[in-house]
Amino acid sequence: MSAQSSVNRIDASAAVPSEIHLPAPTAWPFVLGLGFVLLFAGLLTSASISILGAFLSVAACVGWFREVLPREHEEVVPVVPREIPIRTERPRVERFPTAPEPVRAWLPLETYPISAGIKGGWAGSVAMAVLACTFGLIKTGSIWYPINLLGAIVFEEPFRLDPAQLNAFHGNTFLVALIFHATGSTLVGLLYGAMLPMFPRRPILLGGVIAPLLWSGLLSSLLGLLNPLLESLINWYWFAASQIGFGVVAGLIVMRQHRIPTKENIPFAFRAGIEAPGLMHKKDGGEKQL
Amino acid sequence: MASDAIAIRAQGVASRPWVELVHEWITTVDHKRIGILYIVYALLFLVIGGIEAMILRIQLIVPQNNFVSPQVFNRMFTMHGTTMIFFVAMPVLFGFANYFVPLMIGARDMAFPRLNAFSFWLSAFSGFLLYFSFLGGNGLYGAGTAPDVGWWAYAPLTARAFSPGHSSDYWTIAVLVAGFGSVATAINLIATILCLRCPGMKLSRMPLFAWLNLVMSGMVLITITPLSAAQIMLLIDRYLGGHFFDTQAGGSAAIWMHFFWIFGHPEVYILIIPCFAFMSEVVPVFSRKPIFGYPVMVGATVTIGFVSMSVWAHHMFTIGMSSPANAFFTITSMVVGVPTGIKIFNWLGTMWGGKIQFKTPMLFCIGFLFQFLVAGLTGIMLACAPFDWQLGNSYFVVAHFHYVIVGGILFALFAAFYYWYPKITGKMLSETLGKWHFWLFVIGFHLTFDPMHIPGLLGMPRRIYTYEPGRGWEIWNLLCTIGAFVQAIATLIFVGNMIYSYFKGRDAGNDPWDAWTLEWSVSSPPPSYNFAVIPIVSSRRPLWDLKHPEDPDSQYE
Repeated sequence: MSAQSSVNRIDASAAVPSEIHLPAPTAWPFVLGLGFVLLFAGLLTSASISILGAFLSVAACVGWFREVLPREHEEVVPVVPREIPIRTERPRVERFPTAPEPVRAWLPLETYPISAGIKGGWAGSVAMAVLACTFGLIKTGSIWYPINLLGAIVFEEPFRLDPAQLNAFHGNTFLVALIFHATGSTLVGLLYGAMLPMFPRRPILLGGVIAPLLWSGLLSSLLGLLNPLLESLINWYWFAASQIGFGVVAGLIVMRQHRIPTKENIPFAFRAGIEAPGLMHKKDGGEKQL
Repeated sequence: MASDAIAIRAQGVASRPWVELVHEWITTVDHKRIGILYIVYALLFLVIGGIEAMILRIQLIVPQNNFVSPQVFNRMFTMHGTTMIFFVAMPVLFGFANYFVPLMIGARDMAFPRLNAFSFWLSAFSGFLLYFSFLGGNGLYGAGTAPDVGWWAYAPLTARAFSPGHSSDYWTIAVLVAGFGSVATAINLIATILCLRCPGMKLSRMPLFAWLNLVMSGMVLITITPLSAAQIMLLIDRYLGGHFFDTQAGGSAAIWMHFFWIFGHPEVYILIIPCFAFMSEVVPVFSRKPIFGYPVMVGATVTIGFVSMSVWAHHMFTIGMSSPANAFFTITSMVVGVPTGIKIFNWLGTMWGGKIQFKTPMLFCIGFLFQFLVAGLTGIMLACAPFDWQLGNSYFVVAHFHYVIVGGILFALFAAFYYWYPKITGKMLSETLGKWHFWLFVIGFHLTFDPMHIPGLLGMPRRIYTYEPGRGWEIWNLLCTIGAFVQAIATLIFVGNMIYSYFKGRDAGNDPWDAWTLEWSVSSPPPSYNFAVIPIVSSRRPLWDLKHPEDPDSQYE
């Protein structure tokens, strides 16, 4: 053991009582457990076993209650004073060597808070819904046509509908479409919040127009392979327009939010809470130790 | 009783009449003694369940074997599964929680000491009742003795028509009563952790051991209740002519599956979360570093607790659920891997850059890390519904969950035994025997459960009594059985080590590992009152603060 061992006692500053009150031992939990099991075991063996179990259970409950009411039975245990050494063989504390300053910059230096992405996503979802429903009104005279199509992405029931029914309200399809629309818009909004600061110039053009156009084109070509029936029911010009509507509105909302510094430029050791010189600051005062 | 310490030393045993000792143990309400009772009881059933596993493996060692009859084989796998889950894993984890939660939070006992004793005795008697079925289960001549319907007891196999006599009733009632004991223990742990922490121990300073047992206890409350409800419904079906699970009378067999698995899958996490707790205490001490990312570890555990409640039907992909249901349970099953992965990274982060001491507890923790990761990866594979359609109910699934339960839970338990045995008995376990135990167990484990994946991929169904030669399953089953014997030898070394060290082991002292939590501040074994003076803590590592007064954690937290 090192000569520099630090030794201490956990109760060095407190008065040690001469005796301590602890709950008194009792057999009633044992008896109640046995009685309870015998009560059930009678179902497997004989009614007399259940009767015995019931008797033991009642007796145990009475005995137990009498031990805790009106006052719990306790036993007095004398405290044997002992010197319990608290020592270590490793008194020296090593610290992790960490870079005093960031050695490289992580771009972007600033970004938007998560709430900005959520707000942008929700605002964009309204814009997209308005454009999509406008398309439904113009093409079929019903706002439910695009909603039923959206529900068909994860719900097969719309494919069983005839064209007239596609323009009508269906509660379950609407619910699926609503969940899908809200979830998708929130997630894409979060993506916008994270990505827009990375576009150095014209983020609205890139994120609000070009990206939705690329996305619409990709989906149009893929959906023809994955689900030709659904692809044939979609007007892709209006689809692209609604996507652009989402992108522009979401982008504008996101960009109106205040930026915050990114944390990637703070040393990893600091973010992980590792104690290291210059990273963790000692508290002033603090609570009294043991 | 007015003794200073719990009397489990050899000298104490020899100096008093055995009747008095038995009386003391039966009437005890001391959380430490009840913890020891849980652990010893679980070890007894571990041996019994292990013997049953050996019987299964011997039966499958070669094709067309007749080591036991098909009827006995069915009873063996039913009793093996039921025993290992309900009467080994849960009691031993409750035992460690009972013993160490009050010590770690600076309390004198559990919140409800008498209820604690009642919980244990309920669990104990229910286990004995289950095994009494071997003697008393012959309700009808030739109807069988012990339960033989599998540890999940699917309907309609449990209906009177297919399971005459009382064998299934023994299973139902034993599991039901054990469930009552588990719920009572969970309530006790929650009350203890929330209400009996010593001064200064805020939730943010609580040892991860206590945090994780708190989450586990919450999960027990939520998941045992549907299982108990299902057992009562099954009893109504069998005794009162109910039709809950009778498909020909308007009932539903699938409802039983839902009831069982809404307990059954969270149960895996109920078992593994306390093992995460062991890891979170052992790894920092033997890495000589504080736990990496304490708040994230707590958050990940709570997340696991929530998400694991929504994954149960991945056990039911093969029954033909709707596409949305398949998609939902596939996604949630994969999502639960995220917080679990976070914990693995945090343990690795704790070890990274540390002065790692490869003592036996740490060796078992490292084994856990690797094997639990592999178990998680095969779990992700089985979480994919189309993959599961191919391999559900195959030996691939058996290999997967034994990787979780043996490679994960049992390895962590062994780590806990080697780490806390000195505190419980005052004696150190032999490191030499411990390393023999570890390496033999690792070899045996991998020899058993690595090859077990292959016959599953080749189409070998679980619970199969025997098989035809020429299917490519022979060599893999032979290896599995040889590995099981190696594991049995390793386990015997472990038992021998515990017995030998108890009598001949080196004195442990109060803090043999130079650790940081409160249980190491009291004598080994601790006095009945735990702490002469209730401690006051000001950081997550109170003993570190005492050992390093020049640089206490309390300056930073």
